[in-house]
This record gives sequence, C-alpha cells and structure tokens, in this order.
Amino acid sequence: MSGGTPYGGRQATLEALKIDQPAAIVGQVAAARARGRFRFRLVFAATWAILIGGLVFSLAAAGRIDSAFLGVWAPYILGGIPITIFVSIFSIAFAIVLATLGALGRISRHPVIYAVASLYVSLVRGTPLIAQILFVYLALPQLIPASSDVPVIWLGIFALAFNYGAYMTEIFRAGIEAIPRGQLEAAQALAMRDRLIMRRIVLPQAVRIVIPAIGNEFIAMIKDSALVSIITVQELLWRAQRVGQSNFRTLETLLLAALVYWMLTLVFSIVQARLETRMAESDVRL
Amino acid sequence: MRPRALVVGLAAALLFAGCSAGASEAPPDLLKVVTDAGKLRVSTDPQYPPQSELKPDGSYEGFDIDVANAIAEGLGVEIEFSTPSWDTITAGSWGGRWDLSVGSMTITVPREEVLVFSSAYYFTPAQMAASTASGITTIDGLAGETICVGEATTYLDWLNGTLDVVSETPMTDPPEGAEAVTQTTDRLCAENWKAGRTDWAGWLSSSSTVQDAIDDGLPLVAVGDPVYTEPLAAAADKGGPDPTALIARVTEIIDGMHGDGSLSALSEEWFGVDLTMTAGG
Repeated sequence: MSGGTPYGGRQATLEALKIDQPAAIVGQVAAARARGRFRFRLVFAATWAILIGGLVFSLAAAGRIDSAFLGVWAPYILGGIPITIFVSIFSIAFAIVLATLGALGRISRHPVIYAVASLYVSLVRGTPLIAQILFVYLALPQLIPASSDVPVIWLGIFALAFNYGAYMTEIFRAGIEAIPRGQLEAAQALAMRDRLIMRRIVLPQAVRIVIPAIGNEFIAMIKDSALVSIITVQELLWRAQRVGQSNFRTLETLLLAALVYWMLTLVFSIVQARLETRMAESDVRL
Repeated sequence: MRPRALVVGLAAALLFAGCSAGASEAPPDLLKVVTDAGKLRVSTDPQYPPQSELKPDGSYEGFDIDVANAIAEGLGVEIEFSTPSWDTITAGSWGGRWDLSVGSMTITVPREEVLVFSSAYYFTPAQMAASTASGITTIDGLAGETICVGEATTYLDWLNGTLDVVSETPMTDPPEGAEAVTQTTDRLCAENWKAGRTDWAGWLSSSSTVQDAIDDGLPLVAVGDPVYTEPLAAAADKGGPDPTALIARVTEIIDGMHGDGSLSALSEEWFGVDLTMTAGG
C-alpha cells in the first residue's frame, strides 16, 4: 500500500521528482554541500590574497621600506619569537591554575574564601595590566627585597598570569555554573560528597565549555606578552623597538613585528578552531 | 573546618613573611656585593648610538659600552648588561637589579638626591635642531615654537628652565615662550619629521645624535651653537646597598683613563672628536 501523503504516496513522489535510487540522495546532498563549502573557501582565499596583495603592493610602492636594513636585522628581531611564545604559554598555564582556584573560591560558601577570591578578581580587573607589570618590577622589591633576584621574565609571566587569571576566573565560574542543577541534585541523591561531584561531574563538563574561551585568552595573551618589554624582557617587540629607534627605521621593524604577531595569531586560531570542532563532536547530528 | 583553618593559616604566614622580609638587613656595601659576585651589572639603553646600540647578533657596542668594560676590567670583575628604560634609571630605587649606570647621565642636583655620581667621563654639547619644513635657522627663530626632547633628559629641564647641572658650565637661555614636548627617546622626535609630520618645529638633543640624524639624511638642520655642555658620569643607586666605595673606585678608574689618554682615544673612535676635556670657558 502507498503511504499517507495526499499526492499518491511515497512511490509517486519519488517518481515525480525523478529520483532513481532513494538511498543515493544522501550522497548527492553531501556532495552538493561539499561543493558549496569548497566554492566558499576558494572565494574567501582569493579575497584575502587580493586584499593582502594590495596592502603589500601599496606599502612597497610608497618606497619607504628599507628592505636591506630588514635583511640585516631580521634574524635578531625574529629571535625574540621563542621568548614571546615562552612567556605566552607559561602565563596562560599559570593563569588557568589561578582561574580555577578563583572560580572555586567565587562559588564557595565559606565567606573568607569567597572574600579573598572576590577581592582578587575586583582588584586585578580594576587596575591596568601595564601598571601591574611595572608594580612587580619596581614596587615589589621595596616590599619583598628577595624579589629583585627573580629573573625579570618570571616577574613578567607572574604579572600576566595574575592579571589574566582574574578575567578567566569569571569565565570559569560561568562554565561551572552552566552545569544543570539537576545533575548536582542527582549526584547529591547518590550521596556523593561536594568535592567528588566537582571532580567527577562538574569540572570535566565545565572544561568543554571553557576551552574556546581559553583559546581566545591565549591568542590575546600573545599580544599582551609584548608588555613585558617595558621591564626589559628582550622579546619580539622590545627588539623591534630598539633596533628601529636607534636607526630611525621604526616603520620597517614595527611592520615586521606586527606581521609576526599576526602569523602567530593565525596559527593558534586554526589550532583553536580544530579544538572546538573536536570538543563539539558529541553535538554533531548524524 | 580544615580548609578554612588552612586559608587563615596561609594568610597569616604570608603576612609574617612580608613583615620580616621588610625588616631584614640590607647588604652593607655595593663594592663588596660586586666583588663577591665577581660580576658588575651595568644598565644601558641601546637605542642611543654612538653611546650604546645593538649589533645584529644581539650584543651591545658603543662608547658607553667600552667605558663600562674598562671599568669592569679595572675592578677585576666580569660585566653583564641589562636594559631598563631611561626614566627607570634616572629615578633611582633600582631594586638591586643592576649595580651601576654607565649611560651618559648628566650630573644634576635633583638626580643627586637619589643617585651617587662618579667624576665626569666626558662632556657633550646640547645642540638645537629645526626641521627643514619649518624654515627656522636661528635659535631665536624658535621662540614660541614647540620643541621636542627625550623623556627624563636634561634637555627637557633646560627648556623648562629647571636645569641644575652640578658643575659650572656656561648656559644660554631657552628661546622665549618655547614649549617642550617629550617622546620616550630623543630619536623619535626626528623620526616624526622623517615620517613627514610637523608636530613640532624644534629638537634638542646631544650634538652627536643630531649629527647622526643629519648624516642619515633626515630633513633637519642644526641651529646655532650648542646651548650648553653637560658633564656625564656613571651613577649608582642610593636606595640600595651603600655605593660610596664602589663610586670611589669607579672615579679612580675614570681619572686613570683620563690621565693615560684611553678615554680620549675612545672618544675619538666613537665621536670623531675628543669630548673628554672640560669645555673651555
């Protein structure tokens, strides 16, 4: 018997649409979508190529770039890249630790812990990062003389981590609070202690929510790492500024530094996109 | 119960650690610190050729670098350079991060409140310059104009009428009504003109820096005679371990270098003229 549609049933519909093999339609639709995606990416890449090409051409045509100068100094300036990456990675790692502690503190029921965490977030978000970096370099040795022996790169990493930890605390807290309350109640009904619930139920799911945010923060951190140049860490921007300013060629050196920061951001953006796809695998409709 | 006690205990421990650290003994003598460590840590600002600049391999070269190397040799220790910003160096309170500044710092009365200076190792004239776009060719022509200088330099103090150099050197008056504007470093003033901007008409910096800019083809001209000459010396922080003995040794070494002509030779090598003799009259 034919199905219940008004137009004569399933068989009649397939004949009308000239579909020979019903199962093949899945493949045909997938192929059509893939073609569409490919065309989109092709035009996207072509537009970028034209825009970037136009930018490069207009800079070169203005004739103000001294490429011989860059040839001599590029190895030294680019030598700052490992330091920039080192600072960024360690800062974000410590910031994640601080943010986790801060988030747990912000949802705590103990007033002292809650107060300390809230003060941390409020104070650090309320003062400029550049002031915090200068503080650990200039003011901290006056309070704790031993801190003047700490290599400046670790002072910079500490200041960056301390600052980003405060911002990420709120992100982590939002991730933890996004776990449905029903899960917590169910876990409590099963007589799980609070700490166990946090460790086995809440945090694993919260991680999936906050990873895109961490990726964003890391990409921002790559540029903010340039601020440690003010406390003498000889990373990429420091080198570009010193070389450029001594030789009246800040245009060339700063362009080079900007290009490198952009490349680093692109690479880590792609990594983040892949990570997000991987995290969202459970959401894909099959 | 336990977590709360832990937090309170941790907070108390940190407080006590902070208090006791503040009250600890400072090392008695900077010279002893340097000789014990076998290393002299010198600050330098490598965006100031020919006094100090970077080489493509990342090391430093310049007149100040050579003088610092000679001082370390005289003290019998190794040398290590660090690169804080100029205004951090002139402000004192170095936090023990470096021992000595050999950075062509002028001896001024306000700086003497926070730093101890050695004897002068050379003297540099301050030269006024004007952009070719402004068409100014005399110092009087800069009356009422904006003049760019480096941050925390004596050039800024001179323009503001507050320059208080320790030794008696002849000084002219700043142009009437001239307004000072600062950039983080002297050379940025000239690079502004190179970029085709005309945010200011004048630039005051050391004669060697101005000459460097002219030689590099930047659109500016030197204007008038040097407006004053300043004595430049090595300096140590009063806020750290007692620097008197170190500065006394450094002065000895510098006086020795004046006497045996090595300072004059270095000056000829880097500046093309001997700037180590006191400016006449």
